[in-house]
Amino acid sequence: MPYLSISHVTKQFGDAVVVDDFNLDIEKGEFVSFLGPSGCGKTTTLRMVAGFEIPTSGKIMLDGADITDKAPNQRNVGMIFQSYALFPNMTVAQNIGFGLRVRKEPEATIKQRVEEMVSLINLEKHANKYPYQLSGGQQQRVSLARALAIHPQVLLLDEPLSALDAKIRISLRSEIRAIQKKLGITAIFVTHDQEEALSISDRIVVMNTGVMEQVGTPFEIYNFPKTRFVANFVGSLNTADAEVVDPANGLVSMDGVQFESAEGTEGRKKGDKVKIAIRPERLSFAADQKKANVVDATIENITFLGSVVRIQVKIGNTKFNMDTFNNPFLELPALGSKEQVTCSKEAVLVLDE
Amino acid sequence: MVSGLIFLVISLYFLVPLGATFYWSLRGEKDVLGLEAYRKLFADTNFLPAFSESIINAVATILLSLLIVVPTAYWVTLRLPKLRPIVEFITLLPFVIPAIVLVFGIIRLYSRPPLLLTATYDSSRVLLICVYVALSFPYMFRSVDNGLRAIDVRTLTEAAQSLGANWGTILFRVIFPNIRVALLSGALLTFAIVIGELTIALYMAQHTLGPYMANLTRSKVYEPSAMAIVAFAITWAAMGIIDFIGRGSSKRIANTE
Repeated sequence: MPYLSISHVTKQFGDAVVVDDFNLDIEKGEFVSFLGPSGCGKTTTLRMVAGFEIPTSGKIMLDGADITDKAPNQRNVGMIFQSYALFPNMTVAQNIGFGLRVRKEPEATIKQRVEEMVSLINLEKHANKYPYQLSGGQQQRVSLARALAIHPQVLLLDEPLSALDAKIRISLRSEIRAIQKKLGITAIFVTHDQEEALSISDRIVVMNTGVMEQVGTPFEIYNFPKTRFVANFVGSLNTADAEVVDPANGLVSMDGVQFESAEGTEGRKKGDKVKIAIRPERLSFAADQKKANVVDATIENITFLGSVVRIQVKIGNTKFNMDTFNNPFLELPALGSKEQVTCSKEAVLVLDE
Repeated sequence: MVSGLIFLVISLYFLVPLGATFYWSLRGEKDVLGLEAYRKLFADTNFLPAFSESIINAVATILLSLLIVVPTAYWVTLRLPKLRPIVEFITLLPFVIPAIVLVFGIIRLYSRPPLLLTATYDSSRVLLICVYVALSFPYMFRSVDNGLRAIDVRTLTEAAQSLGANWGTILFRVIFPNIRVALLSGALLTFAIVIGELTIALYMAQHTLGPYMANLTRSKVYEPSAMAIVAFAITWAAMGIIDFIGRGSSKRIANTE
């Protein structure tokens, strides 16, 4: 039996269906991310698990108990907010101990637990400071400690890193993941940042307009997107209009240039209009390695992005981005030169138009 | 240069009457500047009862007003933001209705059964406090509302809920402490209004500070000036307290958003 089960959950505000028939089972200790653009329903789903919204229909079960209609203060879930939501009138220690005081735990237990939590987030020297005396990253760590102090059954994180600068974001997400693994706590993480979701999650739920588009591991989501939305939303993607030429052999044609795909033409027939999609890092110069698809291309533009060099090539009438790792001895082609570009047939995704 | 001149003119506009009143209050004794008028004022057997009655009325008004306004403003902010214009309009009504109209309306309404509240001095006093509560709404609601807008009420409430807090805990341990400057500011403004209120107290035959001051001006020369200075000092002390407490708190809230 799954630890947290969200079954056929729908949420409507007036006539607008914000979450539509959401189904997900989460195992104990799993870290699941809800990924999608603004308005896709990811935060509403999280809020339904927290109890801040009641589903219009459907059921939410936590460790065998139906919590669908339970008030938020009667569910044992910890929540972390984008805006930290620390109580400004309380010190770090008082914030962390708040949930335990509400539960009327003995003072000695509270003191011990607060010390544990402060140590867990490495803020021992700041225990008596007020939130306004801390940086954003430190405040969010306190928020994490406060949520964990009550031994929640599930930890809910609502875009907790969005308000932080890039460096802090990366270090804090690693810290969150390490703490989650150490404590073995079940967590749901809401984000619109694909890199965040890919780097931190056991599984990702990609959502769009209230509907689950795909559920899978970061590897599956990135490499084998099942819908065009997922392919476009997760990672960079070159897409182009194409036509099925030989469904049996996975051949499609784009501007008269043929590509062979490992999958995606099943159930389609010759002449069907489709989209082909290739990730920039899956393209390379044919001189480097010989693969299934070798096509002529013209070098249009070269952009230096630090660790990656992005080369824009024109294949047929369509511009594709091709990413290659930077190194000091990289030999780049001249602009306007004709080159051969290749990619494996697994790299060519065929999506509905 | 021009702004300096404007500042000077405005300062004189306020300071000259104040200075003149203070100077007049010091002339209680012939040919000597001293505190005789203040001594006589505090020695007057009617002053302290009127003063204490006004203070008790003010405290009761503040408590009742807080009890009505804070949960209303909190709930409007949290759950019923669409009702804000209506609530704001209702709280502004005391500004629209002149005090003299208000008091005659109240006397007419509450002078006959089944709502006979003007029969005794004490029941009239209760009625007076209720009227003061209504008069305090514009100041109290605005202060509390500003305080609630300065903090992220919804997120703080949800954070407290997720930690297991019930509504009472949320209000008393999370919301109140973070809007205490707003509460204090509303309370002290209410205090200042109630302490000096004349029209309603006079027509409801209450022995408060307002009618006492009005009576004083009819029979004395220097004591009314001393009384005016005392009232002014109380008001400024109230403002000073709001400012002093507000400084630390606004910094704390601004840095956690």
